[in-house]
Amino acid sequence: MHDEMSGFFPGRPGGEHDEPLLDMILERRPIPPGAPPEIHGLALMLAAVAGPAEPGELAGQAAAQAVFTRLASRPGTSHAALRSARRSLSERPARGRLPLAAALAVAAAGLGSTAAAYIGVLPSSIQHLANLTIGAPPPPHDVSPRTLTVTSSPLPSHHGPGDTGKGSRHPAGSSNPASDKNRPGAWPTHGSQGHGAAPALASCLPAQAQDHGRAVSQVPARPSPAPNQNKPGAVQSAAGSGPSQNRASPGSVPSIWPIPSMSATTVCPGGTIPAQETHAPRR
Amino acid sequence: MIGGAFGVTLANARTGDDAAFACIFRDVQPALLRYLRVITAEPEDVAGETWVHVVTGLRRFRGGEQDFRAWLFTIARNRAADAGRSRHRRPVVPLDMTEAAQQVTAPDAADQALEAVSTQVAMDLIKSLPREQAEIIMLRVVAGLDTSDVARIVGKTPGAVRVAAHRGLRRLAGQVTQTGVTL
Repeated sequence: MHDEMSGFFPGRPGGEHDEPLLDMILERRPIPPGAPPEIHGLALMLAAVAGPAEPGELAGQAAAQAVFTRLASRPGTSHAALRSARRSLSERPARGRLPLAAALAVAAAGLGSTAAAYIGVLPSSIQHLANLTIGAPPPPHDVSPRTLTVTSSPLPSHHGPGDTGKGSRHPAGSSNPASDKNRPGAWPTHGSQGHGAAPALASCLPAQAQDHGRAVSQVPARPSPAPNQNKPGAVQSAAGSGPSQNRASPGSVPSIWPIPSMSATTVCPGGTIPAQETHAPRR
Repeated sequence: MIGGAFGVTLANARTGDDAAFACIFRDVQPALLRYLRVITAEPEDVAGETWVHVVTGLRRFRGGEQDFRAWLFTIARNRAADAGRSRHRRPVVPLDMTEAAQQVTAPDAADQALEAVSTQVAMDLIKSLPREQAEIIMLRVVAGLDTSDVARIVGKTPGAVRVAAHRGLRRLAGQVTQTGVTL
């Protein structure tokens, strides 16, 4: 630092007296004739650096002109770059959602089976197993599950005297016969009796008490408030048919990942000038 | 500098006028290349990338000639930084002081008038400065930008830019004085 000051204009330590002259050099203004020769020499040297083009310095003009001709005629030249940026940004979340989608499908299958068990539409042997394991209603002995659901029968045999023992063992299955009279299946009864899964399932499986097979086919036709609110729909479709879950997944990509590529895209092509590079035009 | 005709030239270039773009290119390219020679090891490549970005952003640009130059040199600096990061560029090794001095104090060079000093020798002297001082001097003198524009480009305050420029100029003059060359 001291060497810098003393090396220039000897006898003037500090160098602050030369600042106006240095500013003249920086602004490429003419140097007064009385200035030290060092100042004149410096000004001439910098003038040489800032001089006209030397041979070879304009060699890139043809290439730049070709780029200009190719790009300038197309507005929004960076569509490909933007597409690429969007693709790269959207692939990442899609990869991350695959395990989630698989987990949802498995959970939906379990919930669907549980709901079917509570509705009582499973085959007798499976319904019996459900009755023993998760407290689902016991399988009817005198009517088939399909008959039970299609006809709104009061299910007299279900709560017959012979079932008393089962009813005492599984009070939720037979403690409210009135609900069995009102509903074709036992589903609402179990919900009112405190089975934790029943209220939640009641909101997403209203039609399955009618006919299991038909309920599955009706799942895609049920109105959905928005494609993004697809958790219930995903559960149902996954329980009924796996491919529908796969169809729902790509459709939800744009909303779940709202493509921050415009903000993440820090490169210019595409007419998007990086913030740091647009300071001058914004002035 | 194009001067008063810059607005019309730029407007024509925006509409795809090749001649207008060529005018702008010829006006800026020498200064751009010399600036990049100071701050990057691949000046030609970075200059090409700079022009691609300028062409793609030309329609969105708004401003005068000074703004355009500031914008272009900002792009150039960013592209140079990108090139340095992506290619793991070797750190800039300043020219050996003695080597630069020998170039200036060579007998034939000492006899030359300053006008005859080649641009390359002057560039070598500037490149021998610390990187920050060399860059600021190039932006101020060669690119013709004012202190505030340079401050924005290099991310410093205008006062710091002015101090760095003065130090660089003093060091340059000191080199010439020490070598005994009368410029």
